[in-house]
Order: sequence, then C-alpha cells, then structure tokens
Amino acid sequence: MDNKLSVNVRKRHAGGPRISAALQLPLDTHSVTVLFGPSGAGKTTVLRLIAGLDTPDAGSIRCDEEVWYVGAGTKRINLPPQKRRVGYLSQDYAIFPHLTVRGNVAYGVRGGAALPDLLARFELGELAERYPRQLSGGQLQRVALARALAAEPRVLLLDEPLSALDDPTRLRMRADLRRLLARAGMPAIVVTHDRIEALALGDSIAIMIDGKLRQAGAVSSVFDSPADADVAAAVGVETICPARVVSRNAGLVAVEIGGAQLVAVDTAGAGADVFACIRAESVTIERDPSGNVTSARNRLAARIVSVIPEGPLARVTLDCGFRLMAIVTRQSEEEMRLREGEQVTAVVKATSIRIVPRGY
Amino acid sequence: MDWQALWLSLRLSFWTTLILLAIGLPAAHWLTFSARRWKFLVEAVVSLPLVLPPTVLGFYILLAIGPHSPAGRLYAALTGGMLPFSFQGLLLASVLYSLPFAVQPFASGFAAVDRRLIEASWCLGVSRAATFFRVIVPLSIPSIVTGMILSFAHTLGEFGVVLMVGGNLAGITRTVSISIYDDVQALNYAAALHTSLLLLGISFAVLAATYGLRRKVWAVWPPYGQ
Repeated sequence: MDNKLSVNVRKRHAGGPRISAALQLPLDTHSVTVLFGPSGAGKTTVLRLIAGLDTPDAGSIRCDEEVWYVGAGTKRINLPPQKRRVGYLSQDYAIFPHLTVRGNVAYGVRGGAALPDLLARFELGELAERYPRQLSGGQLQRVALARALAAEPRVLLLDEPLSALDDPTRLRMRADLRRLLARAGMPAIVVTHDRIEALALGDSIAIMIDGKLRQAGAVSSVFDSPADADVAAAVGVETICPARVVSRNAGLVAVEIGGAQLVAVDTAGAGADVFACIRAESVTIERDPSGNVTSARNRLAARIVSVIPEGPLARVTLDCGFRLMAIVTRQSEEEMRLREGEQVTAVVKATSIRIVPRGY
Repeated sequence: MDWQALWLSLRLSFWTTLILLAIGLPAAHWLTFSARRWKFLVEAVVSLPLVLPPTVLGFYILLAIGPHSPAGRLYAALTGGMLPFSFQGLLLASVLYSLPFAVQPFASGFAAVDRRLIEASWCLGVSRAATFFRVIVPLSIPSIVTGMILSFAHTLGEFGVVLMVGGNLAGITRTVSISIYDDVQALNYAAALHTSLLLLGISFAVLAATYGLRRKVWAVWPPYGQ
C-alpha cells in the first residue's frame, strides 16, 4: 500500500472558519511538514482532527492501509486517539504535573521502547527524578517529545511547539527542535504562524488560510513562488500590487502598475489582471540617475516615502506610482543618505517579480 | 454520655463515606465528562438533598424500602431482614442524603483538571478508564478529600432522615444527634451538653485535619508556575 498519511477533511466549528483540508504526508521519510498560516486559519483544528481529538463533519483520514476516519456512507469509522498512535504535542506540552520526568516519559510506554535510551537521547538522564515545575520550557519540550516517542507513534503532530517559550529560549530551541525532530526519526507535522520557524523547521510546507489549504510543496518553492496573492501575503512578500498585463513576449510579461511598467518572468498563464509580488530584499536602491548597464530589467524613478530602521537593516517605502517596499542595510542607508521625499531609482530584476493570477 | 450512640454515628459516617467514594467517583466522572444533553436532570436529582427537607427525603426513602415496596421485598428475599429501622436502612438513607456533598466537590475537582493533560494521555494510548485513575484522580486529590470529609461530617450531624428511616433503637439506629434530642426531651441537660461538646470537638478536629492535610497535598502537587 502507499505508505502515507492522507487527510481529506471538512469541519465547521461554531464561530470558526469552515475548514476543508486535503494533505498527504509520506510516512517512510523523516521529513517535517509545516502547516503554516495566520492565527485562526484552522491549523490546530486540522492537527486535532488527525489526532482523533475532534471529529470531522465529513471526509476521510487514512494512515498507510489503516482507516482512521471515514465520515460518509454506512460504514462510519472513527478510531479513538488511543488507537491512532499519533504523538500529539499541544502548545504547552501538557506534561503531567504529578509525575517526575521519568514517570512522564514512561507513562504511555509501548512495546520495547527503552526508557534509559530515550532519556539519554533527549538529554533528560540527569533530570529523570525532577518534577515538571522544576524544569525550563526547553526541558519540558524535550520531555514531551520523549514521552510521545515512548508510545511508538507513527507520526508526530506539534502544535506551535515554540510559542510557549520566552524569546531568547525560542531562538535557541528553534535550532534544537530541528535536531530533535531529526533524532526522533519519524515524519512530523508542525503547526506554526511564524515564518522564520517555518523556514527553520520545515522540509515541506502547506499554507492554510481561512480554513483552506492553499498551496503545498517544498518550503523554498512555496516561499519563492507563491501561487496567489493571499499566499504571497502569508509568506511575507512585502509588495503585492494589482497589475495589468500590457504585453507578453518570449516568456516575459510586461505589466503596468499605477503608471509604472515592469517586466517580469511570465508565470501567471492566461488573464490580463494579475498581482505582482516583490520581496523587499530583491529591490535595490540607486542614487545615480544616469543608470549603469545592469542585467536588471526594471529601473523605476521613485520617491522615498519613509525610512524605518530595523536593527542592522532599514525598511524603505518607495513611491514609484505604487508602493514598493525595499530593505537595505543601515550602512548603505547612511552612505546614500536616504531621506524622506528624495528621488532615487528602484531597481528590480525581472526574475524577482512573481506574477500571480488575480481572482481564483 | 451516650457512648453507644457516638460509636454508632462514627460507624455510620465511616461506611457512608466509603460507599460515597465508590459511587461518587464514577458519578462525578459521568457528570463532568458526559456530553448528554439531559445530564442537567441528573445533576438536579443528585443535588436534591441540599434543598429538600430531611423529613421529606426520609419519608420517601421509608416508603421506597418498606416491606411492601419492590425494593423492600427484594431485600427481604435476599437477606430475610428488613431495611426500615435497621442499620443497613439507615446507611442507605445516609448515602442518598449526603450524595451531593461527595459528588459536587469530586465533579468540580475533575472539571478543573486541564483538558490537555487528559487528551495527552489518550494520545499516548491510555484508555479513558485508566486515564481517570492515572491523571484525573491524582490531580483531584484535594477535592476528593474535601468531598469525603464533607460526607463524613454531614452524616455525623444528620437528624431528620435518621429519625424518619431509623427511628430510635439503641445500638441499632440511635445516632448521637438523636441521643442529644432524647436527653433534652428528658430535661437531662448535663448529658446533652457533654455529648454536644464532644460532637463539636470531633467535627472541629476533622475539619482542621482536612484543611491541614489539603495544604500538605498542595505542596506536593502545586499548579504550574509555582
């Protein structure tokens, strides 16, 4: 049989978005799939439906050849969470406060999972006799992972695994978690609304907006090539402007945005109405209007609307007939003396502009 | 001083508490976690003894367990004895009378257990019943202790139900509160005073021990972040 977890569910919560999600997760690899989207998109509900903690209204959930849920028809099946063998980690890890670290990890131990080995693998050996209240957030997370693995699950489900941590710990744990998930040696679905977390943890990503799965694929391809304007906004593309196609020629497309013309690689297929998506880091600002010869196809006269420092970087809002966000280092900002109201030239390579269809 | 009545009351309270623990835990579990729409009706029935006059409750119990009732006949067929005016009948009445004093604290303790802990247990493959004993009960110890103490103390002090169901048979159904009533009726104020004082002392000691114990229990199972 095909060795994967296939989920195809619909669920309506009172007051929540109508959730409709279809995703497939290979079970034979150790890959991490990030379920990514803004808060309230229904990501947690999808995890709970897979774990069996909530029941879908319709659809099916299959793991390998095992049926976990079938809603339609006479043969309704709904396996309880006990029988699904998922390692579910809720946001706050839900460590049993009345048990020691050892007691927690041993709680659901199944088969031949070797406890000392598990404790050692998650660096919990010395903490084994401690109670949860004596542990830090990062340690609690390791207990939760070890406890889930002791029950020999087939897939790990992590709900916002880093959100319960304070900022410095979160930065440290982000790298740690990637390593721990690799060490767990099984497929995992991680829910997050944090772009950096998604990039740091995920091998593949599924974007969820308003209860719907909108795009799935390798993390880099989804981040670089969002399928539509909503996904582009979700993955943090700064400039998303409605544009009109003026001409198409040899794989390139010329679009008009607010009086300015841009040339981009044609990806949108048919349709004259499109969105142009431009990441701030792919916009270059030039002071000299003479214009050296570069490979960049797009040179736009722009007025600086605002310059906002962000740590070592500065976020520059430009007006070139439309609002264009650019990001430069503080150093170049100083050297070029970028001030509000001044005229500059914005340079964008045609390959850095992502054209997506408007309306679905 | 009626030592016999005191001993009877203590025995009655002990057995009532034990039986309430056995039936109160599953009852409270059902009331807390059941998704049935009509469970409010059961909640109301369980809580009836809180507002019903003890005489009304006692009267109905007396009718229900009388020799001509189905329950009374069944009991007679099984044991050859009768429930009214016996210790067993008194015990049954006490259990019903103190039911809310056990079930309500149990249920509020269960409801306070973080749902995510229960779900974590399920996902780890542990059955609902085992989760109850391994997670819900250990985390509700203070509430369970409270419910048991309240049942014990409430039974120790009951009067109306005892009088209706048990009557006033020395060594069988004459509890300490009935004995005090008898003494006062007989103008034997000295004996009534002594017994009352003793009951007051026992009640205070039990409650003081409970609150002391609870504090200790909390030191072992404090909530997160403490």
